[in-house]
Amino acid sequence: MPTSSTERSRRRHVIDLDDFSATEIEEILTTTESMKEVLSREIKQVPALRGRTIVNMFYEDSTRTRISFELAARALSANIVNFSARGSSVEKGESLVDTVRTLQALGADVVVIRHSQSGAPYLVAQHFRGSVINAGDGRHAHPTQALLDLYTMRERLGQIRGVHVLILGDVVHSRVARSNLWGLTRMGARVTLCGPATLLGPPAYWTATWPEVTISYQLDEVLSSADVVMVLRLQKERQQAGLLPSLREYTRLYGLTPERLARLGERVLIMHPGPMNEGVEISPEAATAPNAVIEEQVTNGVAVRMALLYRLAG
Amino acid sequence: MRYLIKNGSIIDPAQRVATVGDVLVSDGKVERLFEIADRAAEQHVLDDGVEIIDARGAVVAPGFTDLHAYLRQPGEEHKETIASGTRAAAHGGFTTVCAMPTEHPTHDTAATVRLVQELARREGYVHVDVVGALTVGREGRALADLGELAEAGCIAFSDGDRALSDAALMRHALAYAAALGLPVMSFCQEARLSAGWAMHEGAVSTRLGLPGFPAAAEEALIARDIALAELTGAHLHICQVSTAGGVALIRAARARGARVTAEVSPHHLTLTDRWVLGALAAHDPAPKAPARQRRQRNPHPELGLPSWLDPTRLPPYDSSTRVCPPLRTEEDIEALAEGLRDGTIDAIATGHSPQSRVEKECEYGLAAPGISSLETALALALSLVHRGEMDMVDLVARLTEGPAQVLGRSPATLRPGARADIVIFDPDAAWTVDAMRFVSRGQNTPLHGQRLKGQVMLTMAGGKIVFRRNGFGTPDAAPAH
Repeated sequence: MPTSSTERSRRRHVIDLDDFSATEIEEILTTTESMKEVLSREIKQVPALRGRTIVNMFYEDSTRTRISFELAARALSANIVNFSARGSSVEKGESLVDTVRTLQALGADVVVIRHSQSGAPYLVAQHFRGSVINAGDGRHAHPTQALLDLYTMRERLGQIRGVHVLILGDVVHSRVARSNLWGLTRMGARVTLCGPATLLGPPAYWTATWPEVTISYQLDEVLSSADVVMVLRLQKERQQAGLLPSLREYTRLYGLTPERLARLGERVLIMHPGPMNEGVEISPEAATAPNAVIEEQVTNGVAVRMALLYRLAG
Repeated sequence: MRYLIKNGSIIDPAQRVATVGDVLVSDGKVERLFEIADRAAEQHVLDDGVEIIDARGAVVAPGFTDLHAYLRQPGEEHKETIASGTRAAAHGGFTTVCAMPTEHPTHDTAATVRLVQELARREGYVHVDVVGALTVGREGRALADLGELAEAGCIAFSDGDRALSDAALMRHALAYAAALGLPVMSFCQEARLSAGWAMHEGAVSTRLGLPGFPAAAEEALIARDIALAELTGAHLHICQVSTAGGVALIRAARARGARVTAEVSPHHLTLTDRWVLGALAAHDPAPKAPARQRRQRNPHPELGLPSWLDPTRLPPYDSSTRVCPPLRTEEDIEALAEGLRDGTIDAIATGHSPQSRVEKECEYGLAAPGISSLETALALALSLVHRGEMDMVDLVARLTEGPAQVLGRSPATLRPGARADIVIFDPDAAWTVDAMRFVSRGQNTPLHGQRLKGQVMLTMAGGKIVFRRNGFGTPDAAPAH
């Protein structure tokens, strides 16, 4: 299902960045800049989406993404309603499709969906006449996170083309990594994926879709050439599932430790989509280093989501 | 009732016959075959109430045998019943269906087996053979009363699509079944290696972020079961083989003389994991080095997969493409076709798994696996013939003789005296799949809206016409094409 048509007609859904051109991404980043200006005003609100109804459909807990969308919607004066799977009809066995039909009938214009199953937003889009924004689905995609990452990089580094981005950690389970792969390669960045073999899988699995990407199992070999280190969250369950010998060994081989931080140039950006496991994939020293932009990512997230809501529903 | 099926292209692999001629059916049996040269002898049968079926342009063959179908009754009648499932079989040209164990209750007692047999006798459109459960409740913990099930008439033992993870129990099952003279049909899936799977593990699952079922999870269990079959001397039948590695293991085992047989489904022979991409496949680079080099002998390159079967008609993550084992890659398809051609794989078996809308209209990873495949099986299988990868006689053999051999039976045939199980199909008739018009209760197919080539025109089971398309063969019907 095309989520946009190739001609300059308006995009209807944001499900992944795979169907975004570099031009469209540029446009969104430019709009984000204007939105950031709105957020810097004393009264952080414009009437752009007055009368529009946005539903936050969160089938998976995520306080920060949900609040980010909520603030974005309010800053544009839209009505926003939170639907969380807990304590809702989902517990009574209602299917995703039934829920979407209900929201449709209630008059929602935009559905923001977070779901643990990859591909769920496509199913929603098939049954919903309005717009769908993917706020993270399984291991598949997290396009708003990737866009805020691109925005943060461009703001700090001036451009994305030619930048070497190291995506570090649990890549195989990461929707953030996948959406960034689409966005970064489309914008002309160089991408290296690095992590333990159990959390990367065979290189050919990645290069079939993203031929330009480099795969490495040796962090210390690739760290020195990076302009951006994007550290991914390591879920402790991975160790319990047998994918890792121990968290200690993970930190030793793949953690952004104070020693590795010292070896990074001062202009190398440290990013993390959050929430962090400090002391595991990233040391507190690295998380609070002057070149860490983790809080800026969060701030920029609101502006990026405003830009998307505005483009879809404005 | 007597029928004279005239002018068809008769293909009877059991007799090594491929000729144009007529088949005379009477009293539920094949009475006689007339080749063109025998026409004079034919005149005297034409008098007393013989109905003539004009099969010009169509193939006349023994009815197909399906080794692997889920008819779901008793227990899950919202998905399928014996009546609807066997009617779908008749539409697909199958005159014998092996009913895999149901969910609950399952075929682990003689009582359930007899109920299925009784329902089939009363309501079935075609013959039904019952596959007994291998373990109690198909739970993989204790053997079912296999002797009692054999006495009740079960033709094989299987836990259906639930692999037996306990290797010691599998060894005992094989040894016990061998003593009863019946095969064990094993569905090979190493559970831990495929835990939480949604589709084939590879580049596409990585791109879509779906948990994978690696080929190794099938191959590991095939290897284990072959070793156990050789240890016990039992007849092991591998269900629904889907991987190139699996085919190689089976080929090597047969070369050593192991009693190993195998089946493949029409969809595993023709569809790949790229079908899960659906519309996304349109923008996705095709696999770098297409393994499937078009064969030189392909007389119709234009009939190759891309033009006739188009995954981009589906939305991304369409749950109709979720099947167990999952759709694999072009390399696997190539190896499966080779295995089918050289006889490593004995039979095409549909793996018919009807599901209701509730089980399918949901998130991909939560959707029940399965494809309702009886009604599209022949057309998908024929694509191998249309692509020049297999000849028609061999293909018909894998639908008739092959499955009969797996069951240790004399093959279905059009020899005089044989039960009149006959299919007439037009290999060149193009049609568009409309799942809403399936007679199976399961409308779950990724092929909805696709153009296929090859259509069953008439099916006769035990001399009775159980399916006839638009008055096929009558004087007022349009010619086959």
